[in-house]
Amino acid sequence: MLQIQNLHAGYGKVEVLHDISFSVPKGQVVSLIGSNGAGKTTTMRAISGMLKPSSGCITLNGKAIAGLPSNRIAQAGLAHSPEGRRVFSTLSVTDNLLLGAFPRLTFGREKGDVQGDLARVFELFPRLKEREHQLAGTLSGGEQQMLAMGRALMLNPDVLLLDEPSMGLAPLLVKEVFRIIGELKSRGITMLLVEQFAAAALEVADYAYVLENGRISVHGPAEQLRNDPAVKAAYLGAAH
Amino acid sequence: MDVFIQLVVSGIALGMIYALIAFGYQLTFATSGTLNFGQGEALMLGALVGLTLVGHMSYWLMLPLVLAFGALQGVVVERVGVRPAIKTKSEFGWIMTTISLAIIFKNVAENIWGHDDIPFPSPLPTEPLQFFGIHILPMEIMVVVGALALMLAVEIFNRKSIYGKAVVATSNDRDAAGLMGINTSMVITFSYALSSMTAAFAGVLVAPLTLTGATMGVSLGLKAFAVAIIGGLNSGLGVIVGGLILGIAETTTGYYVSTGYKDVPGLVLLLLVLSIKPAGIFGKSVIKKV
Amino acid sequence: MSLSKKIAAVLAIAVAAMLPSFWSNPYYIHLMVVIGIYAILLLGLDIVVGYVGEVSLGHAALFGVGSYAAGVLHAKLAMPFLLAVPGSIVITGLFGALLALPALRVSGPYLAMVTLAFGTIIQILINEMDFLTNGPLGLSVRKPVWFGHHISGTEYYYVVLVALIATLFVIQRILKSHLGRAFEALHDSPIASDCMGVSVYGYKVYAFVLSAAFAGLAGSLFTYSEEYISPNTYNFELTILFLLAVIMGGRKTRTGPILGAIIVVMLPNVLSDIDLFREISIGIAVLTAVYAVYAFVTRQRTAKQLALPLAATIALAVSGFMMDNITDHRLTIFGAMILFVVYYLPNGIMGFLRGIILKFRPQWIHRHTLIGEHGDTQHVWAVPDHAVTANGFLLEARNIVMQFGGLKALSEVNLQISKGTVHGLIGPNGSGKSTTMNVLTGIYKPTSGEIEFNGKLITGATPSSIAGEGIARTFQNVQLFGEMTAIENVLVGLHHTYRHSIIDVVFNTPRCKREKHAAEVRAASLLRFVGLEDLANEEARNLPYGKQRLLEIARALALNPSLLLLDEPAAGLTAPDIKELIAMIDKIRSHGITVILIEHHMDVVMSICDKVTVLDFGQKIAEGTPAEIQSNEKVIGAYLGGA
Repeated sequence: MLQIQNLHAGYGKVEVLHDISFSVPKGQVVSLIGSNGAGKTTTMRAISGMLKPSSGCITLNGKAIAGLPSNRIAQAGLAHSPEGRRVFSTLSVTDNLLLGAFPRLTFGREKGDVQGDLARVFELFPRLKEREHQLAGTLSGGEQQMLAMGRALMLNPDVLLLDEPSMGLAPLLVKEVFRIIGELKSRGITMLLVEQFAAAALEVADYAYVLENGRISVHGPAEQLRNDPAVKAAYLGAAH
Repeated sequence: MDVFIQLVVSGIALGMIYALIAFGYQLTFATSGTLNFGQGEALMLGALVGLTLVGHMSYWLMLPLVLAFGALQGVVVERVGVRPAIKTKSEFGWIMTTISLAIIFKNVAENIWGHDDIPFPSPLPTEPLQFFGIHILPMEIMVVVGALALMLAVEIFNRKSIYGKAVVATSNDRDAAGLMGINTSMVITFSYALSSMTAAFAGVLVAPLTLTGATMGVSLGLKAFAVAIIGGLNSGLGVIVGGLILGIAETTTGYYVSTGYKDVPGLVLLLLVLSIKPAGIFGKSVIKKV
Repeated sequence: MSLSKKIAAVLAIAVAAMLPSFWSNPYYIHLMVVIGIYAILLLGLDIVVGYVGEVSLGHAALFGVGSYAAGVLHAKLAMPFLLAVPGSIVITGLFGALLALPALRVSGPYLAMVTLAFGTIIQILINEMDFLTNGPLGLSVRKPVWFGHHISGTEYYYVVLVALIATLFVIQRILKSHLGRAFEALHDSPIASDCMGVSVYGYKVYAFVLSAAFAGLAGSLFTYSEEYISPNTYNFELTILFLLAVIMGGRKTRTGPILGAIIVVMLPNVLSDIDLFREISIGIAVLTAVYAVYAFVTRQRTAKQLALPLAATIALAVSGFMMDNITDHRLTIFGAMILFVVYYLPNGIMGFLRGIILKFRPQWIHRHTLIGEHGDTQHVWAVPDHAVTANGFLLEARNIVMQFGGLKALSEVNLQISKGTVHGLIGPNGSGKSTTMNVLTGIYKPTSGEIEFNGKLITGATPSSIAGEGIARTFQNVQLFGEMTAIENVLVGLHHTYRHSIIDVVFNTPRCKREKHAAEVRAASLLRFVGLEDLANEEARNLPYGKQRLLEIARALALNPSLLLLDEPAAGLTAPDIKELIAMIDKIRSHGITVILIEHHMDVVMSICDKVTVLDFGQKIAEGTPAEIQSNEKVIGAYLGGA
């Protein structure tokens, strides 16, 4: 579904990603793990067009998307729930969700049943339904995270990128977020997940790549990485 | 007392024009963080194009044509002046390019319409109406109604249509709006079109009350700057209140002090607001994330 | 200044001094006088536009203030030239302060807007205050009489030349001093600058006032040169001309403004003569075409990039033949020139030439003054060291709440940092560590709660004053002054050790020399301490990521902090480097500096911290010794995300 080949990207003169290649097969959840500053978020930004890659090839459904502006990539069917949530704080919850479906509402992408999808997102996140008329900026951190995920789902995407969905959330909410990711997986949504809680990410993922200093150091089925002693020591133990 | 009320009433009409132009500044500032330093010239071009058209058709038929011209002029300013500067993130760049486009527009207008001010035929009776001893020109009422109507229309568009919401989303967070599939550079171009259209509309509204000429925009554009800062660059209510404050301050200064000094309160208010509340009376100060 | 530059400067002055003997025509002399006067103003304007990066649209008005100040002092108070000129410098400086103090409080286009308004108002005021200015009639002034001799036009040329040389000298000294470094630092990274105690607001105002003072000098000289001044001279068009001159000549150079002055003074003459204009526009079109062919053949530019400027210059040449007079289109040509310069010559003519030289003879260009001090181990620390013996808390944060909209980044956080300890601050991403840092250093003002540092409440103080109190920091995403060398970065941190005034700078007094030398030795020693002594004269942006982090530590230590905040210092370091970092932090502590350490590398935290605080979703969930923290259930839960 999503293929990344020889991706290089960075900010200004500094190259952060050196030759990254991986793929996300249809219907699967792939996770990127690694320490702070390893390049996880940069990878996500390069895929969704928030950052122009310096070289490399990215294809979505066989269509080359590397270097396109982010709005074209979204139209092609890639949704990105960015790090730090980035909800539209002066718009209501419902408006935020509708904007997630912007290409569908403006002939950029097949329309389908937008109202139905809205209802389904509210069903998935009942907290959002309770606050549908509230401004997004007044939501709590956990609610904003749900809104960001719901907003991305409204695209009816072929691939969903989730960047640090658990960031800054209380443990109970983190559990809730992972329950929802599991739920989405069971609905067959293809996902690329970046997560600092490597253990939880490997629990839900099918396959995982470990990033280290902008390169992929280890990869394999999630099950296998969970039991890899090196990965375990570096990323799974909390306070080692 | 009657004189004072009369001054207030005239100040309101003047203030609404300032508010309308300042509203135009806000439109582009919201989406791109840039301002058109040639907003006054957009107003002047609107008025002069309107003046030429009104010789061939009625005022009411001329209005939509002037609005379309204004929008087109805004697109030119954005494409030629602003877009390259946004790409290189150069504040110096867009300030200089919008100023240079402004002086080009002014110069071209001088060469087409001449250096002299020309009266603009009023679409409404020029006989003032009397309310409790206060004189109000019908055109002044139209200025207030027209300005409010346009601002309201933009506000409704932003709240109700998906395209308007996309504009608001772009002002909230440009990168995130791009992720939603919104073409944010189009949104910025659009905001410039809307902004210049607003100015052109202000031009044809104010023209029958003043004279039309190539230099008419300069001081109006400048006063509207003051209004935008006084009210807050991100507050819709702010420009209306700011416009009224400045309009009334000017008419009263003109009467009680000297007409020569009537342009001075703008700067004084501007410096005062910046010293006390830099984000403007109604503006929200933004916390920059590090 | 190198010897060759000195020779060039002396030669240039000699040529300038001889010019009146070649062009003795009073008209030419007058043009040269005006060029000199404009150059003085533009050199000052460049401080604001080039160094500080703000746009001033009020310099014509400041020029007018200077002119009228001298005129009024001369005409109404009968002040002699040598008093009227300094008087008008001071008055214009005060006007500059009046504008800058409110307008620079917020970043953004405010200064441009306020100065634009100021320009209009000044013209109105000059017209209206006729009891002082004679209103639209203008003021007449005579050239000064010295020793019974009335100064002639040619003699006045030498007066202006002396003023110009003095201006060049003073500005060069200022920009090469710690003041100039402060201007560049605040432009490069405002946040880092504030956190090094170099107040961005303060120095922007400083720069603007300086610039206004030079506009005052230029204005007063102009008054005596013209012998008659009227309000209409100081209009918007003149402001635009000044800006065009600065950017066309080349920002951040001394030669650029002079070149710019020559261009804008000659320009109206060119534009009044249609034949001359036609010749010049053809010349420009030919030159552009030649360059375009060259750039295309050598593949520096694509055809698409070249098409527009080429078409524009050809259109200019053609339009020269379509117009029968040019004065009517003068402003259009100004406007087009500004557009052209902004897009195609962003560094001006001097910058363009410099770029060419840099390509073929890079050794001719020195971007930075090389500093050869070596540094040693004695000069690393401030004298005297902080007392390590003192007990109690250095910093107490009580009930800190930081709210962004509905988002509580910090809720009721309490922190007590004991003197002389290394205090770890850990927690998952987004748990509020960096927010805590930003609250402690004044970048965010907490929604509620208070912070006491060294027995003083610092809640709500500005970052630069908090830095002045003795809190230094590094940044998670490195905030160095990229275009400065490593040692210059550290010297910005040592800004507080420069106690001498601008007068000392101009005259390079012994005090100035002494402090400068002491700072350079100290900076070199600090670089040595973090292991960067070999890279002292390397531009910071060219250093590898890990070294940049070390440089930030050196810069922060330069502030003589009693509290040092390190935000993820180990990110990007290799394993041996991390070991050195630990030793470094240990040494810092042993010199009595208290450290707060945010870090994801647990081995670093556990091996060096005396105490650790754990944050999670904006709340403190645990605190204790490293051993206690490692066995705390809540902490383990937070790190594993409860999975």
